[in-house]
Amino acid sequence: MPGIRLRVDRPVTATVVRSIPADAAECARVLADATADRRTVRITGSGTKSYIGDISATDIELATERIAGVIDHVPADLTVTVGGGARIADVAATLARAGQFLPLDPPHADEATVGGVIAANSNGFWRARYGGVRDLLIGTRTALADGTVARAGGLVVKNVAGYDLDKLLVGSFGTLGVIVEATLKVLPLPEKTDGLIARFASPGDAFAAADTVVRAAARVEACVVQRLAEGAWQLAVQARGGGPTVERALRDARREITARHGDATALGDDLGRMRELPARAIDGALVRVSLPLAASVAFAENAVRIDSFAALVVDAASGIARVHLVNDDDDAVIRDAEALVLSARMVGGAGRIERRAEHLRSRLPTWPTRPNGDFLMRRIKDAFDPAGILEPGRSAFA
Amino acid sequence: MRGLVALLGPTKVLGAHDDLLLYEYDGAVDTATPDAVVLPESTADVAALARFCHEHAVPIVPRGAGTGLSGGAIPVEGGVVVSFARMARILEIDVSSLRAVVQPGVINLHLSTAVAPHGLYFVPDPSSQKACTLGGNVAENSGGPHTLAYGVTTNHVTGIEIVLSDGTVVRLGGKAVEDEGYDLVGSSVGSEGTLGLVTEITVKLTPLPEDKRTLMAAFPTMDEASETVSAIIAAGVVPSAIEMMDQLATQAVEASVHAGYPLDAGGILLVEVDGARDGLEDARARIEEICRAHAASEVRVATSALERERLWAGRKGAFAAMGRLSPDYYVQDGVIPRTRLPDILRLVKDAGTRHGLQVANVFHAGDGNLHPLILFDSRRGPDELERAKAAGLEILTACVEAGGSITGEHGVGMEKNCFMPLQFQSSDLAAMRRLKDAFDPPGLMNPGKIFPTPSRCREFAFASTAR
Ligand SMILES: Cc1cc2nc3c(=O)[nH]c(=O)nc-3n(C[C@H](O)[C@H](O)[C@H](O)COP(=O)(O)OP(=O)(O)OC[C@H]3O[C@@H](n4cnc5c(N)ncnc54)[C@H](O)[C@@H]3O)c2cc1C
Repeated sequence: MPGIRLRVDRPVTATVVRSIPADAAECARVLADATADRRTVRITGSGTKSYIGDISATDIELATERIAGVIDHVPADLTVTVGGGARIADVAATLARAGQFLPLDPPHADEATVGGVIAANSNGFWRARYGGVRDLLIGTRTALADGTVARAGGLVVKNVAGYDLDKLLVGSFGTLGVIVEATLKVLPLPEKTDGLIARFASPGDAFAAADTVVRAAARVEACVVQRLAEGAWQLAVQARGGGPTVERALRDARREITARHGDATALGDDLGRMRELPARAIDGALVRVSLPLAASVAFAENAVRIDSFAALVVDAASGIARVHLVNDDDDAVIRDAEALVLSARMVGGAGRIERRAEHLRSRLPTWPTRPNGDFLMRRIKDAFDPAGILEPGRSAFA
Repeated sequence: MRGLVALLGPTKVLGAHDDLLLYEYDGAVDTATPDAVVLPESTADVAALARFCHEHAVPIVPRGAGTGLSGGAIPVEGGVVVSFARMARILEIDVSSLRAVVQPGVINLHLSTAVAPHGLYFVPDPSSQKACTLGGNVAENSGGPHTLAYGVTTNHVTGIEIVLSDGTVVRLGGKAVEDEGYDLVGSSVGSEGTLGLVTEITVKLTPLPEDKRTLMAAFPTMDEASETVSAIIAAGVVPSAIEMMDQLATQAVEASVHAGYPLDAGGILLVEVDGARDGLEDARARIEEICRAHAASEVRVATSALERERLWAGRKGAFAAMGRLSPDYYVQDGVIPRTRLPDILRLVKDAGTRHGLQVANVFHAGDGNLHPLILFDSRRGPDELERAKAAGLEILTACVEAGGSITGEHGVGMEKNCFMPLQFQSSDLAAMRRLKDAFDPPGLMNPGKIFPTPSRCREFAFASTAR
């Protein structure tokens, strides 16, 4: 098993200490010691997203696998509290037995842990329908570099006591602490799921149809546009809920698709494949951007014209797009990837090089641009981790 | 004072005693008089003011409409109150991106009214939405009856412009759902004006639901009403709103608004489902059935928009209606897991009785967010308010012990900052303090709020009872 976790950027040297704390207190102690000794720490759940960031080898690899399990599930309150190392798939299984589900569909869904999903702000296509990680997370306990365990939020769905530090942890990539416990909102399992996938000749038609779906009276669970290197444009729509609502959603979607000369067929595991693009994109570079909705179509049209273009997946409901670039010419990949992130910035969005081939790591940083307010982020990081031991190289503002 | 006038001109600065008196209170029970009031007209004004205050080490207290219920806009440590009344323009309605960009002084309801012709609305709908500002909503992370299914303010804000206490202007986020790096937008929402002055806000707009069903159900007691709430949720129906009211509240409302609530009911529920027309009849029938199974003596479904509005007018006017019962009220905002509603509501009543005060309940039952309105009469002496506060503290302690929170939407402010240690340990508060120090190193932004202050909190020594 440990072998699985060693998918790190650089060969792990003999000096790396693997620490597997049994609980929050032990985890905090490991961090306090590391701070005292100035030893760097990287945190791994299942290690599924180790490709994100510019991490070099650290002195300690802290695994959350023993801080797992479902701590509390109160079905009638629609909340679940789990250890940071709990796998999403295991949590889902527990919830399913009570007729509920965690409305999150992140990539690497089979292996990803709750702590990792929070730290990487890892969302799937359900975000616009149910909210993203930031919206579902209502409480955390986090082991900090000073050896304390800080609690934020709580067990209740509504809570404004003090600052919302949960939000700070979402997308923090372990740079502020180790998430040892999380409380999330869950939902009753809907009675029906159905979907369709349609082909279009032009991106304009595909996005126009997607736009009507996003605004339709019956809200859908996923609305995703994709283009493969060789293929036409596709729109996948999935609806979940009560029978009449699902039927209405698909009826309306089909009508809009037909009006735009698309042809719809039944949805297979297309969404699963689209969602797992990051897992497959081991060569070239994978660019991930968040865009104002209105900017999605122009971004997509531009992306497919690029020399290195290989695949595009756009969550049309939330404006998150991924572009896979592949080219024998490394310089072209680097140039195209950075240009795409910049183009997202130009229209008021943001982005990163989410993944790149191992040999490009040193030449293509994850974050080619800095976020607004980076000086505030720096100050926050310094306040939480003054010795800089946590996940060096894994922040957008360094 | 003179420095401020020189900086901003005489029309943007108030200093006369009579003018200042208008800014010494908000919707809660505490008061303090500001040293000056500034009415900026642009981000540049705000930045200039902040630089001035920074240089002279003067506290800055932002203020929207002053409807806050935790003393957030009260200058408890003196200083300059910054009113956003003149920064009240909707800057952009971006229909294709489902966003609006607004100045902080825009009134909540004005935004929804302005975007309605596009078939859109802004989801958070505090009962004060005709008066409160979006800046205030962002600062408090406000909720409302319809935030049960669709989320509170933080779920609907994607960008802000914020002026720090040293005058730096920072734009965070934007129209996209997220930015890279830490989520500073999310960390700022709900920060009660203690991190900076919010001068621009980008919010999500949501397509208006195609249709709605609104039900009013009357129950013999609050217990049955409470159990109905859990049963509805457990049945897999997630209504857009579930509001509850006890008999005392109903009587006050009927006396002022005439919403048509039955006066003999021990508890009533207002339940709404919305969305595509197709599923609504099913959901309505389901809810009606659950209500009846829990001994509802009456279930009334609004058959017209007018009837729906009347039912809601009662709810939204409930706080104002308390004047019929008592000259003053002190409202608490604790949250509990909704499965604990029956026992905590009993406890709320007992707390009132113990202190010789009546308590009316009007609240967001669907998310377990209580609003006990503790009725008192300050004309009978200062002791009345003290007793109300004592009852309030007992209620909040019970909420925290039940695994809940001391505030669901009204904020901590200067009203509950001494109670923070009930819910949080010192290490938790220390983590929050780090965020504060990153944004506002000199501590000039809205001091005396959120964090316990040694001077005012001496009499309270709590150990966290949080689970
Ligand atoms: C009758 C009644 C019903 C209510 N119902 C609800 C309800 O259903 N749900 C709910 O959540 N609340 C409710 N409230 C509470 C209140 O209306 C909300 O908290 C509201 O968001 C406050 O807005 P305001 O503009 O009045 O802010 P104010 O009271 O003026 O200020 C509130 C806080 O925001 C800060 N602030 C204001 N503007 C800015 C800015 N631009 N930048 C930084 N900080 C700023 C202030 O410093 C203060 O801390 C109700 C209040 C009343 C009186």
